Amino acid sequence: MESNWATGHLQVIRTLMERSAVYRRALAPVMTSNGVLGTAAAAVGLAARIEAPRAFIGYWMAVALVGVAGSFLLARRQALKDAEPFWSPPTRRVAQALLPPLLFGFVLGLLLVVRGGSLGGGAPGPALCLFWLPLVWIALYGCALHAAGFFMPRGMKIFGWALVLASSVIGAAGAFGRFDWAEPPLFGNGVMGLVFGLAHLAYGVYLYFTEQSGNET
Amino acid sequence: MNPEPFFQLDRVIHEKGRMAIMSMLAASADLSFTELRDALGMTDGNLTTHIRTLQEAGYLSVTKSFQNNRSLTTCSLTRAGRQAFANYINLLEQIVRETRSNEQ
Repeated sequence: MESNWATGHLQVIRTLMERSAVYRRALAPVMTSNGVLGTAAAAVGLAARIEAPRAFIGYWMAVALVGVAGSFLLARRQALKDAEPFWSPPTRRVAQALLPPLLFGFVLGLLLVVRGGSLGGGAPGPALCLFWLPLVWIALYGCALHAAGFFMPRGMKIFGWALVLASSVIGAAGAFGRFDWAEPPLFGNGVMGLVFGLAHLAYGVYLYFTEQSGNET
Repeated sequence: MNPEPFFQLDRVIHEKGRMAIMSMLAASADLSFTELRDALGMTDGNLTTHIRTLQEAGYLSVTKSFQNNRSLTTCSLTRAGRQAFANYINLLEQIVRETRSNEQ
């Protein structure tokens, strides 16, 4: 009997301590740097007219890889600066939550680049690659942030929800003919820049002004 | 069964709300009043009362500052608080061990 309540107390303490260890490391710099990267990539994409479906997918996948690598470097630099272990339990939990949707988004893009011509006959069209794929990527990224948000400050879940809702609304508008299908190249680079660029930049600036000092607790 | 460890449990910590506050702070350098309140689902009054009790026991320190023109209350465990919490956990573990060994 006594063992039961004592074990229960220890379990509660453990759960609360884990919940308290929220990931906060370098969020503002990560968001801001990804915002700058996304905005610059969109500007280059629009200026260089990266409009061929496969080129568009390959280009943005490369940008995403640079963004992920940069985020890891920033988090690692912050960990070194604070003399904390990089691969801490909160970092591990956030990475595990982010991984499944991001992995699927990457695999989907890769399949369209490599085997696009064999999927459903013919080469993947501009509507699929420059309209629907960016929306799927945004929604998956939103799901990833929402999942990671359980181990991060509350705003991250809201940001994830906002991305999922935005992609759903834009998708519905596209499905009901609110977009001119002759313009998917402009839309593709534009929406990627808007979401992965400007939205991150805005959130990063917001975090700079609202985040408490200290990183990972 | 040796009842001694049970009677040694710190009565200040051995209360659901205060134990939760101590647990959260034990895993953090510090937490704001709002973070504690949201994470534990306590009312402002309830949390304030528990914080005061822990403060009077010397287990918790409260820092008040301003951020973006808004007051920010931050709580952290004192050295004595960390020590008391570690002792509390040791005693709980001791109770679990002793009860299990008696059952075998």
